[in-house]
Amino acid sequence: MVRPDAASALEDPKVLSALPRYVDVVKNRRIAKFLISRMVPADYSDDSSTEELWTVHERALVEEAELEESLDRGKVKIGDLKPPQRSLLHLKHLLGRRILESCVLCERRCMKNRLRGELGYCRVGEEMKVSSYFEHMGEEPEVVPSFTVYGPRHMLGGRPS
Amino acid sequence: MGCNFRCIHCQNWSISQQFEEGSVIPQKELALLIDIARRDGCRNQNWVGGDPIPQIPFWLGILLYEKENTPVFFNTNGHYSREASELLRGVVDLYKIDFKYGSDRCAERISDAPRYWETVTRNLRSAKRYGELLIRVLVLPGHLDCCLYCILKFISEELGKGTRVNLMDQYTPHWRAGEAPELSKRLTPSEWRRAVAMAEDAGLTNVTM
Repeated sequence: MVRPDAASALEDPKVLSALPRYVDVVKNRRIAKFLISRMVPADYSDDSSTEELWTVHERALVEEAELEESLDRGKVKIGDLKPPQRSLLHLKHLLGRRILESCVLCERRCMKNRLRGELGYCRVGEEMKVSSYFEHMGEEPEVVPSFTVYGPRHMLGGRPS
Repeated sequence: MGCNFRCIHCQNWSISQQFEEGSVIPQKELALLIDIARRDGCRNQNWVGGDPIPQIPFWLGILLYEKENTPVFFNTNGHYSREASELLRGVVDLYKIDFKYGSDRCAERISDAPRYWETVTRNLRSAKRYGELLIRVLVLPGHLDCCLYCILKFISEELGKGTRVNLMDQYTPHWRAGEAPELSKRLTPSEWRRAVAMAEDAGLTNVTM
């Protein structure tokens, strides 16, 4: 079931002018960025310093942008590429885990060690607890239906006590 | 609770109470659910928290297992660090940022958010540069001159007049909204008319309401 405005949204010239690539990915004419990031090799090891990891990351991002352009122009097909053992996405995941040791994900930068069970302002631990997931219809027409995963106690703010 | 803001008017405050527990679903399993939903006609995977910022590493782990071509839709208040922005770069296809305040004072008072303007405008610029961007603006009563004016001006001048903006009139006082006198009531029709006129004056051409 699709809302009527959602069905037509992907043909809306104003949506197309602002979000052309997104619309193409929805229609499977282009490739979602995360799949491209999995095709970009990243040369690092698990014991590399965080600084080294960021350097490798920056280089891999440049390579990813080039690959995205080649894919978008049809010069390369994603099916012809072989995923590397360690990709840009693996590196991002590792960097994300490193950040959790002294969390600076949000601009509050509270530097709690979430891997050791410390909780910061957001009170989110190491694991993501899922409270619900469903095909969400209550967003802008160009983005619904949307497979939505809610974290614990979905809220945009509010202390429980 | 999963949010880096404490908006006194949080509309999801009551919903949040029904889902207090939450359970840990393995990343592989979530990846499979997302793949199935995509084959079923879902357009994207929508990262929601609270705010998804604290969950970014977990989501990156899910993406390692997904097989379908499902665009990543990052639905956020925009108050993330430079490091988080780098992690999102090259992974997020569509950013939706709630642009809430034009002044740091209002952001601190209502959402307890430090360095709001500098942070959110930095992330809006980088979202536009590295992905595609949808901006949501919930017009807050009494915040047209201090907030809405600056928000619309920034979008128009820095991000482009064709930026897609969803201007929303449905502000409703929830939770502790009564603590701020101007937020204890809904937007008046004349405030809304003025908000619409401000968007026109800013020259924005891709506004939905």
